[in-house]
Amino acid sequence: MSTATQKPVKLPVTVDKPTPYTFDLGLLLANDPNPVSIPPTAAADRTSLETHLTSVARDGAQVLINQLLTTCTITSHRDGVLLTLPPPQTPLPREKPIPTPKPETKWSAFAKRRGIKPKTREQRRNLQYNEATGEFERKWGYKGANKAGQDDAIIEVSAKQQAAEREKGTSVRGDKRREIRERVKRNERRMRRNLRNADGRK
Amino acid sequence: MLRQIKPRNARSKRALEKRAPKAVENPKTALFLRGTSCSQITQDALGDLYALRQVYSKRFQKKNPVHPFEDASSLAFFSEKNDCSLLLFGSSSKKRPHTITFVRTFDYKILDMLEFYLDAETFRSIAQFKNEKVPVGTRPLMVFAGTAFESPVPNAFTMAKSMLIDFFRGETSDKIDVEGLRYCVVVTADEPTASETASGDDPAAKPVLRLRVYTIRTKRSGQKLPRVELEEHGPRMDFRLGRIQEPDEAMLKEAMRKPKTTEERTKKNISTDIMGDKIGRIHTGKLDLSELQTRKMKGLKRSRDQHDEDDEEETVVADELPKRKRKGSA
Repeated sequence: MSTATQKPVKLPVTVDKPTPYTFDLGLLLANDPNPVSIPPTAAADRTSLETHLTSVARDGAQVLINQLLTTCTITSHRDGVLLTLPPPQTPLPREKPIPTPKPETKWSAFAKRRGIKPKTREQRRNLQYNEATGEFERKWGYKGANKAGQDDAIIEVSAKQQAAEREKGTSVRGDKRREIRERVKRNERRMRRNLRNADGRK
Repeated sequence: MLRQIKPRNARSKRALEKRAPKAVENPKTALFLRGTSCSQITQDALGDLYALRQVYSKRFQKKNPVHPFEDASSLAFFSEKNDCSLLLFGSSSKKRPHTITFVRTFDYKILDMLEFYLDAETFRSIAQFKNEKVPVGTRPLMVFAGTAFESPVPNAFTMAKSMLIDFFRGETSDKIDVEGLRYCVVVTADEPTASETASGDDPAAKPVLRLRVYTIRTKRSGQKLPRVELEEHGPRMDFRLGRIQEPDEAMLKEAMRKPKTTEERTKKNISTDIMGDKIGRIHTGKLDLSELQTRKMKGLKRSRDQHDEDDEEETVVADELPKRKRKGSA
């Protein structure tokens, strides 16, 4: 480098070849379509062959670096100078097939039709404010709000409820719990039906 | 085939998700294997390639009784078991000395295979070049020189190019540090005629593929762009291409599919001019010129047409007659 500063001789940075190079900067790739004509003298002699190959390589590397530095946007950063590369162009085979989208369930189809958005993170949170007590409580699970009144000592029973025929071996006492279990089972049936439909559609 | 596992805990679920197909894929992992007989030179070559592709590679040391071109099912198994889609299988036999078989898989099935016969005389390993080595995980620049790579029909050379790009591309990121442009992989293919004269004693000689790896040193050139100088880093490998297994067409088509991107497609017939105004081109349909209102004149009145009907008919007949004559003569 000291010699460069002493005599300001400009080193050549351009490469002239009959056929222009093609680039794929996303892959840092340069294609040199020019024939690599190794002179017959070089073919026999190992060292001259290597120098010839190195000159071909140097031209390629020079052109590729020129292209990178001229066409890519350069941003200076605290850690260094960054080049923004374009996406790769060369078609290369994938490793695995493109993932198939999740099959639509009956609910998701309905929600899409009605424009119902999925619940937000806050809505999905298992915590809600109880106006009556002025405290936060769980929506479900241990001491969940959906179990309120389940284990109460006294349960109010309407006249209509009393008149209705009961299943054998059940009483008003476990009704709430049974109702929840029934809902869970119904949801599982729906899940199975969605799975069946998804398989059938394939 | 590996059994289908349903994750039972979060850790195994994460592990399965890592292997699952993705729209934007992770870098391919390369697996380095050896056959029952594998010469020291081939092992060294595999070791060097392994060193160049560190981070995204696995290496096996045991011998595998596999002949890729006869039965590649165990390679497909290794691919699935290790989640590797690029396999390099080293073997050496009397008929095919110093062979490295590149195998690519798609969906854990063999996509294509190509044999690279290493030239033992010219091979030099990384360790034989005494200079500074590039750090692990640096992306190389790639240069492919020679007319053989530009073939429009797929052949062994274009496949070799595709495989080598796949091998050396590493992790593709959209940003790169200028300091990270440290080394360069150059693959040159000899001209067919040149190689014939060069090795006239070997009749089965095909053009040689020369793989060279150089470190890049940039010098101040007195201009804006730097002057590039190269120094050989190693390894130095000369290959001849051997047997080839072309990809199955349907499988290749599936493998080449591009996932749908979220970015909007360019709308047709809408453009912006230099001033930033939006310009649209619309189709107006065919103009009905029969109803066009031309200049009104007394002579063109409809009421007059009815009076002159006889005259018009005569002229029409007079016009048609010569045409018919022409047709008959021709």
